[in-house]
Amino acid sequence: MSRALPGRLVALGLLALSGCGAGTPAPGDAGESLRVGSSLAAEQELVRAIDGGGVRTLDPALSTDVPAEHVLDDLFEGLTRLDQAGEPAPGVASSWESSPDGLTWTFHLRPALWSNGVTIKADDFVYGWRRTVDPKSASDVAQMLAPVRGALEISAGRAAPTTLGIEAVDERTVRVHLTAPTPYLLALLAKAYTYPQYAPAIEAFGENWTAPEHMVGNGAFVLREHVIGGRLTLTRNPQYWDAPRVHLTKVVYLPLDRAVQTDRFFAGDVAFTDSFSAEQTAWLRSRLGSQVVSAPYLGNFVLGINAQRPPFAGNRALRLALTMAVDREMLVRYVRQGLYQAAWTPTPPLSGYPAPVPAWASLSALERHAQARRYYALAGYSAAHPLRVELDYPTDTDNRRTYEAVAAMWRTNLGAEVSTYNAEFRVQLGERHLRKLALFHYAWIGDYPDPYTFLQLFRAGNGYNDGGYYSGRYEALLAQADAEANATRRLQLLSQAEAVLNDDVACIPLYYYASRHLIKSYLRGWTSNIQDRNLSQYLYVLAHEGR
Amino acid sequence: MLRYLALRLLTVVPTLLVIATLAFVLLHLTPGGPFDSDHHLLPQIQHSIEARFHLDEPLWRQYLRYLGDLARGDLGPSYQYRNTSVNHIIATGLPVDLIVGGTALSLSLLLGGALGLLAASHPGTFLDRVPMSVASLGMAVPVFVVAPLLILVFALRLHWLPSGDWVAGSWRHVLLPALALALPYSAYIARIVRASALEVMSSPFILSARAKGLPTHTILLRHALRPTLLPLISFLGPTIAGVLTGSIVVETVFGLPGVGRYFVTGALNRDYTLVCGLTLLYGGLIVLCNLGVDLCHAWLDPRVRRAL
Repeated sequence: MSRALPGRLVALGLLALSGCGAGTPAPGDAGESLRVGSSLAAEQELVRAIDGGGVRTLDPALSTDVPAEHVLDDLFEGLTRLDQAGEPAPGVASSWESSPDGLTWTFHLRPALWSNGVTIKADDFVYGWRRTVDPKSASDVAQMLAPVRGALEISAGRAAPTTLGIEAVDERTVRVHLTAPTPYLLALLAKAYTYPQYAPAIEAFGENWTAPEHMVGNGAFVLREHVIGGRLTLTRNPQYWDAPRVHLTKVVYLPLDRAVQTDRFFAGDVAFTDSFSAEQTAWLRSRLGSQVVSAPYLGNFVLGINAQRPPFAGNRALRLALTMAVDREMLVRYVRQGLYQAAWTPTPPLSGYPAPVPAWASLSALERHAQARRYYALAGYSAAHPLRVELDYPTDTDNRRTYEAVAAMWRTNLGAEVSTYNAEFRVQLGERHLRKLALFHYAWIGDYPDPYTFLQLFRAGNGYNDGGYYSGRYEALLAQADAEANATRRLQLLSQAEAVLNDDVACIPLYYYASRHLIKSYLRGWTSNIQDRNLSQYLYVLAHEGR
Repeated sequence: MLRYLALRLLTVVPTLLVIATLAFVLLHLTPGGPFDSDHHLLPQIQHSIEARFHLDEPLWRQYLRYLGDLARGDLGPSYQYRNTSVNHIIATGLPVDLIVGGTALSLSLLLGGALGLLAASHPGTFLDRVPMSVASLGMAVPVFVVAPLLILVFALRLHWLPSGDWVAGSWRHVLLPALALALPYSAYIARIVRASALEVMSSPFILSARAKGLPTHTILLRHALRPTLLPLISFLGPTIAGVLTGSIVVETVFGLPGVGRYFVTGALNRDYTLVCGLTLLYGGLIVLCNLGVDLCHAWLDPRVRRAL
């Protein structure tokens, strides 16, 4: 997922001086107030802010960034779409069934049209998926289709795109062949890289097909304007199969720096922000009340440990001492303003997944520290011979605060001398991939709501296994889970594998991310969800006075 | 004179070549590449992406290819904004900066020039000290403080102007960013104009003009104005190039779709072609503005003209 770009240097905190406010019922609201009625507003238009980095491409076969994901959610629709709660629900496919071994899925398409009025056929999905994995497209999301039979071989240029495990049985039936049972398939089908693609527009206009005048989509909205690095204007798509239930007639996406988003929210220009500065949480809550929205997000903030380099190689006692000596509640409360949730295991809470929290997590802080000191001594360190190690992280103010606090905890609780060192993101990434770093920033945003998106990172051969972790037992449990068609048993196997990871202290989980938005009280139809995706087709504006 | 102009124009090409080469080499020397991501790509996929943009070729061949494209006026495809050429990014973003920057320049010349002349005509008095203190403040306070303050006052409090965004053809959206950009430059210009005017007014040729009994306005307009402008014009050369290629701070605070912020984001994303393209644009503008400065000097100062 993309990172925020450095527009953050602009200290708009100054606007804290502003006397403007909005919101009902906003406690302590001293400025102009916003009065919200219960009927629909006559004008159903919305301005949403997205990350200041802006949309890099609207080509579903190429898009990787979060801002584009929000826009593509409105412009296209896959076999499934996310419902209001963020769960996969029927999209272009109205129904589906899978074979008992979970390897073959058959999707039945509803009568649906492209934005130019042409009927959507099964072949449009086949074309789109093949285009995504075709090496000629040079797509860095191609490997996300890995569960589909043949996808990796095609991406590697060892097989023709026509061998991909997707076929059009007839005009209204799509069949997908998988390499392994993939319980999160329905979530993948609501992702951009599995959308149908309209071949005539792509063939006719080449790379230019995503321009508003050429783009043909099948979502609830169509693209009217796209200023590179600037605003995107969408209007309701009358051809969309569920168009009668779409309230908004126009959606504008504005790429804005985080601090600027807050300012524009107060000005009444933006009704739904992408984020706000964590430092302003208390002040924003006092001003805006329930318009400040924060919820768990599918991402973890973890410290990676290099299992192959000293001092951590073969020294479980030391790894255990370090992870036990971190006060996660303090971190969350004082460094992250209570927005995030303390993490004891890499996978964030997911419904139906029994997360394996280590037993020592339930000890009191004092007991934990005492145990940590015992392990620290057992590992061969003492006040006379303290641990000296460097902690590396990509340059970012939030990262710096967190890691300086963690280093201070280790100094106080163990006497360890951990120095922190930051470098620009890509420089640090390169060093990490070469496994040069001993202790490093290792945060991850999940690609789909399933533990595997986090657990795969510790697999042997995974390109992201920068700590070089290896455990035969872990590999065996994951291989078993791969082959398991029963969803509940699979999750149990994954949980056992994650317990192995925790037992080995393969990493030091610190906390789970949270999404954070400012949402005008007149805007309804959204639901906080772990993927933080709210489709504009569900949103509506209530009648209101004030901005 | 024409020969001089032709010679100077001829040096533009090698200068740009040096700029392009330096930008190309420095960017490729930086650790990390445009397609490095925390989603570690499978080697084969990484390779097919690099092959698509010829990044798998030896550096010298990439360089020759780049120069070949440049000769045809093609700055190449952006690596981060897929499906978009650098030419297109500059063609859509630069007009925004030209409008905001041009307005800012005009504002700062008007404001700075007026304040500088006012101060110079009343040296040591209240009318000198107050504008010059304000100018010092204008130089000292950074744009990222001025811009939000302008928004706070004119957009959030008074509701006179929009707090940001860009609407083509709307002067209301230009005013605040242009003002934010203009204030520090006005301060520089005011100080330069004041110092230069004071120096010129006390020089011997003005004294002799006075001695001849010429009226003040004739002295000011015919004799003093041109030499006073000389330092200002030297200052304006690189300034114009800088102002017209956008400011990351102003673009970020006001949410303007200009090209200024790509200098930073492009470099962080290792978007080689985008950064090279912008560097060339900026370099080319500097070369042209400096040429303009030299021509203005020649026009204003007979001594320079004779030396050409």
